[in-house]
Amino acid sequence: MTTRLSEVESQTRELTLCLVGMPNSGKTTLMNAITGGNFRTANYPGVTVSLLRGKSKAEFGPALSIVDLPGVHSPVAPSPEEELACRVIEGNHARVRPDAFVLVADATQLERHLKFAGFVAKQGKPLVVALTMIDILRRMDQSVDVEKLAAALGVPVVPVDPRSGEGVAELVKTVHKFASAPPVGSALARIPDEPVSAFKVIRDLLQGSHAVRRVSRLSGLTDSHTTRIDRIVLHRYWGFPVFFLVLVSLFAAIFWAAQPFVDAIDAGFSLAGDLVVRVFPESIIARFIGEGVIGGVGAVAVFFPQIMILFFLMTLLEDSGYLARGATLVDRPLSYLGLHGRSFVPMLSGFACAIPAVLAARAIPARRERILTIWIIPLMSCSARLPVYALLLAALLPGAAWSAGLSLAGIYVGSLLIASLTAGLASRLVFSYRKPSLLAMELPVYRTPRWKPILRMTWARGSSYLRRAGVPIMTVSACLWLLSNFGYVPKAFVAPAKMEGSFAAQLGQKMEPMLRPMGVDWRVGVGLISAFAAREVFVSSMAIVFHVDADNDQTAQAGLLQQMRTATFPGTSQMIFTPSSIFGLIVFFFFSLQCFSTVAVVRKETNSWRLAGTQLAFYTGLGYVLAVASVQALRALGVA
Amino acid sequence: MTETLPAKRLSEVSLNEWCRIDRLEGPREDCERLLDLGFTPGEEIIVTHAAPLGDPLVIRVRGALLALRKREAAWILVE
Repeated sequence: MTTRLSEVESQTRELTLCLVGMPNSGKTTLMNAITGGNFRTANYPGVTVSLLRGKSKAEFGPALSIVDLPGVHSPVAPSPEEELACRVIEGNHARVRPDAFVLVADATQLERHLKFAGFVAKQGKPLVVALTMIDILRRMDQSVDVEKLAAALGVPVVPVDPRSGEGVAELVKTVHKFASAPPVGSALARIPDEPVSAFKVIRDLLQGSHAVRRVSRLSGLTDSHTTRIDRIVLHRYWGFPVFFLVLVSLFAAIFWAAQPFVDAIDAGFSLAGDLVVRVFPESIIARFIGEGVIGGVGAVAVFFPQIMILFFLMTLLEDSGYLARGATLVDRPLSYLGLHGRSFVPMLSGFACAIPAVLAARAIPARRERILTIWIIPLMSCSARLPVYALLLAALLPGAAWSAGLSLAGIYVGSLLIASLTAGLASRLVFSYRKPSLLAMELPVYRTPRWKPILRMTWARGSSYLRRAGVPIMTVSACLWLLSNFGYVPKAFVAPAKMEGSFAAQLGQKMEPMLRPMGVDWRVGVGLISAFAAREVFVSSMAIVFHVDADNDQTAQAGLLQQMRTATFPGTSQMIFTPSSIFGLIVFFFFSLQCFSTVAVVRKETNSWRLAGTQLAFYTGLGYVLAVASVQALRALGVA
Repeated sequence: MTETLPAKRLSEVSLNEWCRIDRLEGPREDCERLLDLGFTPGEEIIVTHAAPLGDPLVIRVRGALLALRKREAAWILVE
């Protein structure tokens, strides 16, 4: 593969074209349009920042290798994203060597968007300016004369609408033309890096060129469409109801709309697993493939609908311009907790599943706030805890459906409160040495969403999740399967039919001294260990260790409850599942990070084993300590 | 030191009132960032919205709408 690639490269070396510009300039949409959605995120060692890399569509002539660099405000680089972009532009990156640049500039904000052009023009490589948002400019009663602008800047200027694809072919053609004959000494190269004089130079350039025409000084300062919508969306009284409506729809979509797909995928994979096991009933390898591997793939795949729906809605919110408004509304309370206005999406997603939530935290531009958001996500009561709470609450409050429902609601609200408290404390105690970053968030103009780019973007983000998180999640679930199905019996390694002899059971028995203070025995410990594959596994493995034989789900749950009501510590008549021990288990599930998949994703997203490991140890430790404390406190108070 | 209009903090300016940036006063790194975003002395800006909780403020600068926290807006002195 490598040799073939380098061969191709040496024969017809593809030109590398880098898309550069400010955030919100429409770079990524342009990337989509040039490559036809054929790009992937590329990670390079050492940095957590990823680049988008792709190839230009065949219809645009000889293939170009296209790289979408992170948006940059200034070459005086503070954020890791900007640092990476500047390193590539200066030609100091080992793997990405640009041959030409396309500076993507918002035509409605030329001054701001051209400021960075000075830095790019100074590299002496061919540079083409792609002018976006011309449609918005028209909406603002303004017009831009592209030829005059090109003459003034000294570089080719091509108007493009990346959303419709208009002008993209022309842009690529221009790049091909100028890449071979680099223009020299553009006016842009005279723009200094220092902002105050840079803005002055650009304003003089633009005014001297007479390229941008305004009908009057006041008309065309604002986009009336955006002003009208903002009057409601940012309204003192209407702002929050609108935001609440958006939240509810988002929540409903990731929670309920995904459910049929989740169920279908779940059923499909268990069917496939069952088939393999049934065809080769005696073979342990078939069982491993059927239960461990296919089950593991299934464990990854069940997250997929939720992740796709979440990414779709996020892209939609971002693309329409609402995301930044929502973030503005809630920035006050969230920044008080040390979070960012944009943290609301990951926090909300955390109620469905921590994995897409951690991925959604990418939308937070500041590292400190992003890490803190990721840190509290596992506390949000995810949907995998739901079956566990359902079982435990049914055992704790038999026959009172309303009180179980009320308790469940309490758990959800409680998880939000505890997460807020944790963020507030951590931002003051742990992260206090790092000052909060500037909000300075741009509110883009509202635009009617275009489905094709949104779907492409959703697919690119979603499939990148499958690649990033898929392998670790599958590995972990296969390992847990091995642990719960193999055991060491004095004579040899065996695959016992019952769980008692497995490594997981032995581990559970070793942990017995730790489990006793929680008021439970090793069998519950096995359930807790297996829940690290996914929390809901707790229910099914409890059914196995407590020998519930059932034909269907209904009786499995009922049978397990029956068993739990009569279960005693081995050799005694002391009950295991008393109100205090069940409450302790709920507390444990509330806090503990029992999800290796989350750990794997956090590690991938933060590029830090230390952070992921600390998070795992902290929450699981906290869950244990608080569970023991509450069990002992309840018992001291006379609750059984 | 000319004694023209006294400088006010942007966080104290009322909504929809054009004002001109006089200078920035705040942590150096953050002020550099604000300059980069277009908040340079002499530039005319306007606070178009305040979030329902009074913070952050939405400010129009050089054709862009930017949300700034009040704390950050206070570093911008206007006349």
